[in-house]
Order: sequence, then structure tokens, then C-alpha cells
Amino acid sequence: MFDCKECEERLYTYLDRELDEAEQREVQMHLDHCPPCVERFRFEGNVLQLIGSIGRKNGCPEETRKRILRACGKEALI
Amino acid sequence: MDVTDEATQEQQERQARLEVEALSQLDALYRTALRLSRNPQDAEDLVQETYLNAFRALDRFEEGTNLRAWLFRILNNAFISQYRRRKRRPSDSIENVTEYYLYDHLAESGVGPKQENPERDVLSRIGDDAVLAALEELPVEFRQVELLADIEGFSYREIAEILDIPIGTVMSRLYRARRRLQKLLWDEAREAGYGVNANA
Repeated sequence: MFDCKECEERLYTYLDRELDEAEQREVQMHLDHCPPCVERFRFEGNVLQLIGSIGRKNGCPEETRKRILRACGKEALI
Repeated sequence: MDVTDEATQEQQERQARLEVEALSQLDALYRTALRLSRNPQDAEDLVQETYLNAFRALDRFEEGTNLRAWLFRILNNAFISQYRRRKRRPSDSIENVTEYYLYDHLAESGVGPKQENPERDVLSRIGDDAVLAALEELPVEFRQVELLADIEGFSYREIAEILDIPIGTVMSRLYRARRRLQKLLWDEAREAGYGVNANA
């Protein structure tokens, strides 16, 4: 089973679900027994999620969208 | 209708279908272009260039592969060309920022992780605009991976293909981008008054 340091090294790959299955399990096993690491992982995961949701709030302004569609010859889609 | 007409009609239908699918990514492409170029006019130019290039090359696009990643690849290439033309300042050097930077600083400040959902509280105190400004402050190589991973949700492999860099480079840049971002956010939190009362 990984120790705290080994889990810390895999913090992001774990949160991004990019670890292989065996390592994902090892980290999970450590987290099952280590409340301080759970707290840190939860915090980091939430920070990433919050940054993501703030970053996705805005799209393309309507006037800009129209100009882009016109420039691409897609007036029909306006 | 002869065989040639049918083939042409099929081709046109395919083109129209892919164009509609591509245009469904306009919001995501625009917000990424805006954070990369940090300028609405440049962002508009980049998205326009992305679609013009994409529509011209759609006949070579292999249907069933990742259209969204392909569009982001075109956008990032357009951005890098624009960026090099303007010869903006090169990336800053990255100071060594430790693991759990924001978490540890909140804890040290005495107002942080002890409360429930401190991350929500601190980010809402900082405000959306300051979080977006912090994203834009990241050096460009880090900003690219941060936007693709944490805002647009691409996998490491997809980012590697979009930016044409090895997966190991994606991981190290993303790691450093997130650490740097945490430092910027903590600086913003301090400005917003975090930790000031605890030390007073």
C-alpha cells in the first residue's frame, strides 16, 4: 500500500483518473485509512472542479458569434 | 440521379453535418481563445481562422475520430502562430511551489481547511474575474494545458495530440500549471483579506 508521500506524488493523476487500475486501487486503499490525505485530496479535487466551472461559465458573445459565422460564409446559421 | 450526383450529394451532406457539429464547439473554442490571447479581438480572429481552416480541411477529416480535439488542435496551432508573430515575452521561470500549496497556506492562516468547504469559500471570496485573471497570468505553455485539462476536460492523451507534445510533458506542464495557479490564487486570497485577521 502506498504511503502519504507516494499518494501525494499521484495526487493529480488520481484526480484526473489517469492512473492505471493497480495504482488507482493502491491510492484508494491508502485513502481508506488516512483521513488527512482524504481531506487534502478532497480539497484539491474541489479546487480543480471550481476552477473548471468558473472557466466554463462564459461562451462566445452573440455579436461575435454572428461575425464569425458571417466571415465563414455561414450566414444561414445565424 | 446518376452515381456522380449521388456521391456529390452525400459529400455535401457529410460536409454540412460536420460543420454543424464543429460549430457546436464555438463557445468552448472562443473562451479558450480568449484566455490564450487575453484579448477579445484576437480571440475572435483565432476562432474565425480555426473554422475557416477546419471547413477547408473537413473533406480530409476522418469521421468517427475526435472532431472536438481536432478543432482545438487547429486553434492552438493558430494561437502559437499569432503568439510568435507578436513575439510576446517568453515564459517566466517557475518558482518551486510545494504540494498542497493553497491548502497549506489556508491552514497556516488559521481560516482555512478547518471550516467546511474552505475551497468554495476562498474562491468565491476571490471572485470569478480574479480566478480568470489568474488563469491568464500562467505562462503560455502552462495556460494551454491548464485550459485543455481543467476547463475543457480533455484527457492527457488528447492534450498530447492537440499540442503535439509527449504525454510526460503534458503531465509535467499540468502539474506545474496547477501549482502556479494555486500560488496566484493564494496571492489573490491574501489581497481579498484571507489570513489577515488570523495574523492580526
